Amino acid sequence: MFLTLIRRELLANLMTFRFLVAMVVTLSLVVANTVVLIADYERRLTSYDTAVKQHHQKFLKRASTYSEVEGEILVDRPPNPLSIFNAGLDRRLGNSITASHTFVPTLWDTRSHSADNPFLNLFSSVDLVLIFQVILSLLALLFAHDAIAGEREAGTLRLTMANPVSRPIILLAKYISAMACLILPVVMSLLLALILFSMSGSISLSGDDWLRISGILFTSIIYLSVFYLIGLLISVVTRRTATALMLSMVIWSTLVLIYPSLSVFTVNRLWQTPSQLEAAYREIEQIWEAFEREQTDFLRNDSVDGEDPNFNVPPSGSYGAYQISDPMTLKYFKVETRLWTRIDPDSEPQIPHVKAYFQFSEPRRIRAAEKTWQVRQKTLDYVYVRKANVAKNMMRLSPAAMYDFATEAWAGTDFYGIEDFITTVQQYRQTIIDYFYDKEAFSSRKWFSIDQGKVDWSDLPQFSYHRADVSSNVKHASGDIACLFLINVVLFMTTFLIFVRQEV
Amino acid sequence: MWHITKRELYNNLNSLRFALTTVLLLALMVTNAVRHTREHSKRVQQYHNAVTESMNRLTAIADDSLYELARQGPGTFYKKPSPLHFCADGGETSLPDRVGSSYDRRRFWRLAYPDANINMMNLGPDVSHIDWTFIIGYILSLIALIFTFDAISGECEHGTLRLTLANAIPRHTVLIGKFLGALISTTIPFMLAMLVNLLILSTSSAVHLNAQAWGRLCIILFIAFLYTCLFLALGLLVSARVQRSAVSLVILLLTWVTFVVFMPSTLASLASGFSSSMARYEYFDRYGQSYHKFRRTWRYAWYQSNDEKMLRTRGEWHTKMAVNEERLNGEYLTFKITQVQRARAITRISPAAFLQHLLEAFAGTGLDRHQQFIENVQRYAREYREFIVDMERGDPESLHIMGVREGMSQKPVSPEAVPKFEDTRNIGKDFNTAAMELLLLTLFVVVLLAGAYLAFVRVEI
Repeated sequence: MFLTLIRRELLANLMTFRFLVAMVVTLSLVVANTVVLIADYERRLTSYDTAVKQHHQKFLKRASTYSEVEGEILVDRPPNPLSIFNAGLDRRLGNSITASHTFVPTLWDTRSHSADNPFLNLFSSVDLVLIFQVILSLLALLFAHDAIAGEREAGTLRLTMANPVSRPIILLAKYISAMACLILPVVMSLLLALILFSMSGSISLSGDDWLRISGILFTSIIYLSVFYLIGLLISVVTRRTATALMLSMVIWSTLVLIYPSLSVFTVNRLWQTPSQLEAAYREIEQIWEAFEREQTDFLRNDSVDGEDPNFNVPPSGSYGAYQISDPMTLKYFKVETRLWTRIDPDSEPQIPHVKAYFQFSEPRRIRAAEKTWQVRQKTLDYVYVRKANVAKNMMRLSPAAMYDFATEAWAGTDFYGIEDFITTVQQYRQTIIDYFYDKEAFSSRKWFSIDQGKVDWSDLPQFSYHRADVSSNVKHASGDIACLFLINVVLFMTTFLIFVRQEV
Repeated sequence: MWHITKRELYNNLNSLRFALTTVLLLALMVTNAVRHTREHSKRVQQYHNAVTESMNRLTAIADDSLYELARQGPGTFYKKPSPLHFCADGGETSLPDRVGSSYDRRRFWRLAYPDANINMMNLGPDVSHIDWTFIIGYILSLIALIFTFDAISGECEHGTLRLTLANAIPRHTVLIGKFLGALISTTIPFMLAMLVNLLILSTSSAVHLNAQAWGRLCIILFIAFLYTCLFLALGLLVSARVQRSAVSLVILLLTWVTFVVFMPSTLASLASGFSSSMARYEYFDRYGQSYHKFRRTWRYAWYQSNDEKMLRTRGEWHTKMAVNEERLNGEYLTFKITQVQRARAITRISPAAFLQHLLEAFAGTGLDRHQQFIENVQRYAREYREFIVDMERGDPESLHIMGVREGMSQKPVSPEAVPKFEDTRNIGKDFNTAAMELLLLTLFVVVLLAGAYLAFVRVEI
């Protein structure tokens, strides 16, 4: 009996016009968007490759002394191929960052690749998850709204019940067959997308990526089930199909379109913390003032008269000492660069002092940078990351948002995915510092002068970035998936209880 | 006909959808107004502070000497925040709010255009702003479809259409009656919500809407009206073609989702791929090339001798260098903006994008407004340079060699004489740029209505 019911429902759903139309629309949107998104991904990949090449060339051209390396080691974030599924922050945030011993890089120090046009951010981006999120949830509601109400109006529900079949079985049969019909377009669009991927040739998916894609598929199914059950609940509660339809439409537009924007607005209103930033900025200023005091003290107390950081060596080449600061992102550091092209024999006795100066000041600069980072990290996390998280938590009242966040976590385009890259850059910075220590760069003549040849950078460790393995994706996606699952269970139980006690 | 309209109206007013849409629109409009009153005052405050600071700086320089005025330039220009920001957000957070002028010890000032911001402060989810563009473009159009999807097919199903037509009423009268009924019943909740919105805005002290702003609002309302008509006509067309209302709703919803939600972004990213913009390093290459060319041409300029010929050479170098660099900056910006404008032109296939452009044009936000602002700045920059030349001519003691301290007037300038920058907007000009789109929108409405009429005349009952 159960199977008969399922077959009937399946046929009833599959043969409908709405299913056909929805299928055609979804598939054509998926194909059109995948083509566009792949092209966009390829463009970003080219932009990334060009940037890597450019940065390397520029580095070799500019960094002729060790100190001149400041600001010249630029590392780039490759575009994430799974951003085609959920763009997340992958396109929105900067993708190029400096690794230097003078400051610890954070997310807020990134900038965009030079070939990108930031004005294009005026357009909102579409991804495959958005299509599922909007269209298939609509389809789920369209399937569900007349599942019970329609049969009740037509009187067929009574007929079915006249057979020896229990109510849970009817409900379950409806649920299973409708879900089968909803999974079909999801699977087909994913397949189409993957075919297009393999045709493009520029996208190579690793084993982990396949796991991530199946994670996205799994989340999509749970998400659609939530919307189907919402529709079913409405259908059980209401007497007339027309009413059920109206309610479904309003709930759909609220959950998918309106609520996310409304909730973010409320958070932005409540969250204002300029004072935090100001206090932290002052603290950071003090760190660097202390650093400068130490430097001046050193210059004053060494055996050379005066406080000249150039130690009376006649100027040749270039010399730079500057400070970079931004109160909004708490970026703050001081830099000293030297590029002396020749050193007179007369000045030769001064050279050991210059070496001693840098050997003294640069490790302290590194320490100041790390202290700055501790203050910065804490404050920026509070001001920007926690704000974003509160906004996200507010949005989580809508299953559409949960679905978005979960797939974002699967694709690795969420905050943690980007932060993973930043952590790698921070480790790379440590590698550079270790490299400097190994080479005794701070106390070497090549820190400031090229009169005895330029620095040979051939054994500088190269930056390489591999995305974290799939377990971290699972970790960040699991919360939302569990929530969606819970909503499923609750909705099903409620629908079931109401349906069992209802008169037909 | 009035009977039919009245009947439709009564039907709609008593229905669940009317109540739900009213609540929805009210909630959205109130949120929109509250948000605007809070944010607008902050924006205006920031703008005024920045402008005052910029003016003070200019006064201080003018008190110093004409030479300094010519070298350091007019400072930073700020974009005036639009009081109608609540109608269309226009992506203002990612557009820069200023144009700077940079100078250094030797080089003269030239305009430097900041890039669009990549917003690191916002790590939260990317959601659409609740502005009128969203409310009208997304919600009102959906409501229009919900009011019309069963207008004809529903009556067909119930058999009441046959009864109506039996009364010797011509079909077009029935259609127009239904159209008017649906139009009025969508307009009522919208007007109500909008009046509440405007009431909150006009009673709050933060927002001042002048006569021009009200005029612009009227035009925006007219556009909203046309846009609603478009979707009503679409709803009637599909409803007349399809016999069953469930099917008509599915078709309408999917059409809506495709054209309103997906089309603009998909087309935009497609179109932005067609043309590539100039990359930053290319720009720097060009910049470097022109700089070296200059150095070769003017290499004598660096002799430290102060005879008049040398001064002239050096002055020429400074002035030409500034102009050349400003031209390059401008070209780089134009490249980028043109790419976006092309993509925007293609998104016009979607009515939602159409509406967005129109509302942005009249609300004075978005990319078009940004371009207007840049044009204003450029015009002012020319005016400023002319003013310097005029003042220079007026000083008999100076050598009239532009670009070097020794050759230029050292007298202070009265700060009142320096031309003031005004970021003006012209409603006539806005109207001209939008007229074509308005016409097209009207045309669409007419075509769809005609289609609905034809479909309805041929339908068998």
